[in-house]
Amino acid sequence: MDAAHGLRTNMVDALLERGASNPSVAPNFGRSSEICAMRVRFKIPVRLLAEIREDLRRPHRFAHERVGFIVAGLASYTDGVLVLARAYRPVDDGDYLHAPSVGAMMGPDAIRKAQEFALFKGEAIFHVHSHGGSGLPGFSGVDLRENAKFVPDFLKVAPQYIHGAIVLSDDSATGQFWQSRSGRPETIDGFVEVGSPLRKWGRHGQV
Amino acid sequence: MDRFERQSFLGPNSTKVLRNSTVGLIGLGGGGSHEVQQMAHLGVGGYVLVDPDTIDWTNTNRLVGGTLGDVECKRPKVHIAERVIRGLQPDARIKVVQGCWETELEELKRCDIILGAVDSYVARDQIERFCRRFLIPYIDIGMDVLALGDDQGYLISGQVILSSPGGPCLWCCGFLDEEKLSKEAAKYGGAGGRPQVVWPNGVLASTAVGLLVQLICPWHSRTTDFTYLVYDGNRGTVTPSPWMAALQNRSCPHFPASEVGDPGFDVRTLNAKRTAKGPSNSIGSPPSAATRPIWWRRMLSFERK
Repeated sequence: MDAAHGLRTNMVDALLERGASNPSVAPNFGRSSEICAMRVRFKIPVRLLAEIREDLRRPHRFAHERVGFIVAGLASYTDGVLVLARAYRPVDDGDYLHAPSVGAMMGPDAIRKAQEFALFKGEAIFHVHSHGGSGLPGFSGVDLRENAKFVPDFLKVAPQYIHGAIVLSDDSATGQFWQSRSGRPETIDGFVEVGSPLRKWGRHGQV
Repeated sequence: MDRFERQSFLGPNSTKVLRNSTVGLIGLGGGGSHEVQQMAHLGVGGYVLVDPDTIDWTNTNRLVGGTLGDVECKRPKVHIAERVIRGLQPDARIKVVQGCWETELEELKRCDIILGAVDSYVARDQIERFCRRFLIPYIDIGMDVLALGDDQGYLISGQVILSSPGGPCLWCCGFLDEEKLSKEAAKYGGAGGRPQVVWPNGVLASTAVGLLVQLICPWHSRTTDFTYLVYDGNRGTVTPSPWMAALQNRSCPHFPASEVGDPGFDVRTLNAKRTAKGPSNSIGSPPSAATRPIWWRRMLSFERK
């Protein structure tokens, strides 16, 4: 997975200015030192997860793998924050760039469209791709590097949410999220696949 | 010897899965008390118990775990349920809410599944709305006793419905409709006590607990995320409603995915609150012995004031 980070359009920058102001928040808020560690649980309906896995398996004309975005609502609960998956937005075929050295590289339009979901529809954005196989997957070095380049930018347009990235296997998932642009990524503590069966797992394995 | 040995067919990790599960129970009367008892036997580890009422004489014909002594001391139903659980699982994670479920939404949001055993259609509608918003499967039970007329006696009936996020809901299957809600609203305050007996509650609660276990520890492969079972207490049958087949694999038009989550969520506000309160594990807890000042230091600090 890779993203063409340096090719953002002026339109996106204009959107950033609109989303960044919030009078109820202290101007210096968001500095990573002020933010406590947060427990985050990611919940996704079984049907939606199956739809995502199926879409990510589709071959692309030249990219080695497919990528997409999960849009989500958020809620607080006693232990932290719930990420509640709403829908899947696949990256359009034409929004991939030729990059034989990585599995897939998104063009600027893909990121701009995702930012628009965050800005106009009030959604948290989680980039998603799959490594296949079974068991708890892990981000590759390229994944971690590229996530850090483009995911925090979603906080420019929707700073009221957390945003992140998910990597799937065929039966599990791992994820990271950002709650401030200047902060470090944090690990999603747990996943819940809601449906029949209802499955839960966390960073310490299947439960 | 493992006390769960006889349920090992639920899966090699079933004991751990059940222990790590948290179930919300709204309504701990005739139906809910059966459910609590069975989940404690099964080894479910986490509970959010919600009921505003205390036990009274008219509950003793059906409230499992309740005693005449509880009536004498007007014990809250949530405390009776907690006692039943602690008798089997002393270390269970239990949050007791003696009040309306709407007052403890943060606790209920962390539940894996919510079971409702409530009397009204309005309450069912509101609980299901809550569950859909936070992606929580909801299992509803209810029973009724209807006069058949012409001296034919009564019909005991009931239902168990599993409503999962994204799948068919209580409105999709016709269990809820505007007419029922408006009729109930018109009778508000004058409904009186409806007939309730222990054995139909037991059948319905057992069926609901079976659905819950099927969700988290499926023992067969043909499980489904929507179930509507109809109880006929006169025939002694529990049968699938025709709605089950009609709605299988259908999505729900009443609760669009775009409404999932809290529309007013703001992580900056949440973090500001958390920063002001300090680390979450210290909220509401008394200071530990290690951090509590010894008596003479407390005296000094008092005198300095």
